[in-house]
Amino acid sequence: MPKLIIDDIPVEVAPGTSVLEAARSVGITIPHFCYHPALAIAAACRLCAVKLLDGPVKGIQMSCALPAQDGMVVSTTDPEALKMRALVIEWLMLNHPHDCPVCDEGGECLLQDFTIAGGHSRRRYQGKKRTFQNQYLGEGIHHEMNRCIECYRCVRFYQDYAGGTDFGVTGSAGRVYFGRFQEGQLESPFSGNLVDICPTGVFTDKTGRFRARYWDYQFAPSVCQHCSVGCNTSPQNFQRETIKIVGRRNDQVNGWFICDRARFDKGYLNDPQRPREPRLDGATCGYDVAVDAAAKSIAEFVRKNGADSLAVVGSPRLSLEAMILLARLARAAGGARICYFGDAAQQQGSVAAARLLHEENSAHIREIEQAQWVALHALDLIEEAPMLALAVRKAFLAGAQIFLVDGNPIPERNTPPFKYAAVESLDDVPFEGGGKGIVICGAGRKDPELLAHIASSGAKLVILQPGANGFAAGLLAQEHATSPLTELVAARQVRGVVCFEADVPEGLLSGLEVLASADWRRGPVEAKSPIFLPTTTWVESDGTAINYEGRAQRFQRSRVAGLPLKGLDPKYYGSATEAVTLHPPRVHRKDIPGGAERDAWQVMAQLIVRLGGEPVVEPLAGKWSALRSLDPEGEGVRIFDIVSGE
Amino acid sequence: MIPETLKTSLEARVASAITPREAAVDVMKELQTHYGWLTDEAVGEAAVLLGLSPLQVEELATFYEMIYRRPVGKKVIHVCDSISCWCADCDTIIQYLKDKLGVGLGGTTADGVFTLIPCCCMGMCGDSPAMSVGGVPYGKLTPELVDKILEAERNNG
Ligand code: SF4
Ligand code: SF4
Ligand code: FES
Ligand code: FES
Repeated sequence: MPKLIIDDIPVEVAPGTSVLEAARSVGITIPHFCYHPALAIAAACRLCAVKLLDGPVKGIQMSCALPAQDGMVVSTTDPEALKMRALVIEWLMLNHPHDCPVCDEGGECLLQDFTIAGGHSRRRYQGKKRTFQNQYLGEGIHHEMNRCIECYRCVRFYQDYAGGTDFGVTGSAGRVYFGRFQEGQLESPFSGNLVDICPTGVFTDKTGRFRARYWDYQFAPSVCQHCSVGCNTSPQNFQRETIKIVGRRNDQVNGWFICDRARFDKGYLNDPQRPREPRLDGATCGYDVAVDAAAKSIAEFVRKNGADSLAVVGSPRLSLEAMILLARLARAAGGARICYFGDAAQQQGSVAAARLLHEENSAHIREIEQAQWVALHALDLIEEAPMLALAVRKAFLAGAQIFLVDGNPIPERNTPPFKYAAVESLDDVPFEGGGKGIVICGAGRKDPELLAHIASSGAKLVILQPGANGFAAGLLAQEHATSPLTELVAARQVRGVVCFEADVPEGLLSGLEVLASADWRRGPVEAKSPIFLPTTTWVESDGTAINYEGRAQRFQRSRVAGLPLKGLDPKYYGSATEAVTLHPPRVHRKDIPGGAERDAWQVMAQLIVRLGGEPVVEPLAGKWSALRSLDPEGEGVRIFDIVSGE
Repeated sequence: MIPETLKTSLEARVASAITPREAAVDVMKELQTHYGWLTDEAVGEAAVLLGLSPLQVEELATFYEMIYRRPVGKKVIHVCDSISCWCADCDTIIQYLKDKLGVGLGGTTADGVFTLIPCCCMGMCGDSPAMSVGGVPYGKLTPELVDKILEAERNNG
């Protein structure tokens, strides 16, 4: 363990740690552009100069590329180092347009911070600036090449880290250009990370350009709900609209990055057509009126048909809190049936995962990255868990063998960023040693017997879930021994349903009476439901989700519920019901237009009380209470101990 | 489209390399000889031969100054403007070349014979100022010498 002294502070770090990282570990930030913890060292910007006063190396050095060694005495404040940094910044900024007030990166730009921190604040250069033609890079990313300072972060991420081949660096000297061969959509499903990784404003999120500045945003730690990997994100909201979604670091789950689906697939959150008003028999009503009616309808149905023929239906879209309350609601209704899945195949796989996985055999991302071989079992990884493809790529680059077992041909747009051998069955995969091998199963074909067979092999397992919170749904489905809705209906056991963010398989609805439904999106269930209760999406609610590896993570509300200000229906400017011409509000109102939505678990809690159950103070009760103090900014906790604790 | 024979020989060249990328410069130069410059089509063909994306070929093509991504004349003049040649007053030589050929840097003469391009250090610092014409190096340039070289180069091939 090298011991060194940085600015009179003794520091001890792991071998291989750079001086820059060593300094950072004691709270000293050396200005830097090209250095990024997730990327290989390039020493391209020459900004991170420090002076070595004593030890094995002397003089001015680039701290990002200098491994810490025993006996080093480092000064980050030496006048010579300071001078060098100021001059380097000055020439890095030579061609920069200095048009910060109009740059969309404003407020989020590392360049500004380190330009000032580096001691350069006056422009001396009077000459002409180099200018570039920007390229069209697709609908996600805007290109503004003049802001580039040639740190090579973008290309190091895009090609080296993410395995993309259609974006890179061309030219040399003063003509260095970061772009594509020809204009066109960036091909990598991770291209959106260019926005986060570029320290200047070269790449910005086109879908949220020029809407707000960093300090305007409302944001909070959140968890992506587009697949069961559970990557950490930070949705950035302005005036009740989710403008951008950016990646949030969690070394145990997604590292620094997220996939493009997470970043760009956000229109549904802002959709003015989202159902936002409670409804009773087709007419808008107050929330409590609708809840009362729902409770009454449930009670009546149970009295007439018996609780047995009623099912409360959820889905892996619900938060853990709501899933827990779903069971309590069923009890309050006199013992109704509970469904966490509409589809039998989905439930089968989820429950098997919940049963088979434990602390030891459930692989997490670090283990995937370090695996010696990875078998993808009947799986289109980019489709089902994009970020895991980057973990597998890391393993691949380190020499791991990758197999696609029993898989369908992967569509070209989903070609993973690593080479693999297609084999027919798991027997063709060299299992020896097991411990360093990982089998990743798709949600598509999860025969429980097959899973049990794999689990017994000693290989570590990744079982992807159908939906962000599928693991929790599987756990609870197992705990309450529930059946999927399809089976209950087929056995003619259930005739009425109350649905919470449920995806009821097509064709099932015709034979069912929908008593009430709660959701944040429209659909056949909502259309058929006489009582409708709008719920919040994950950006407007607090909750807990459990990812594929059994890790519980808390997401926090990052904005209030309600219609986005942009595109607000003119009716809200004058009267609550009638459309009027656009005009500033004449009627003062305290409530937010369209802001009636409630979290699904709160709706359930209210129904429970109406049905004579115990009031819900805290949904995370019993064994789950261990999760109450879960830190949304932390790395999450695996729930295996919690689950087996009872 | 390149002829089959060229394609076969390039494939053999790539196959004999330890990594395909290592053969990239050779492949690009051969294609450049065939087309006169490295056309977009040639970039595509090189990409297929090397198993790279067109962009990855472009990265290499635009890095090397001897690979021409725009049409050039029959012979390319690389005139050095780097530090040693600058000390030996290459500015005069460059200006002389421009006047004589009637083109700016990057330009091609009206008869399509010469293209004038600046380059950085040809490794002939000891003989600076230096230039190369169609791959042939010349040092210790003076305006008179430049006249003679251009005359000779224009007449042979
Ligand atoms: S585009 Fe951005 S990330 Fe890429 S080199 Fe330029 S400044 Fe760095
Ligand atoms: S991999 Fe899944 S959880 Fe992660 S960012 Fe992409 S869609 Fe979201
Ligand atoms: S951060 Fe060290 S050279 Fe760029
Ligand atoms: S500087 Fe001109 S040849 Fe070296």
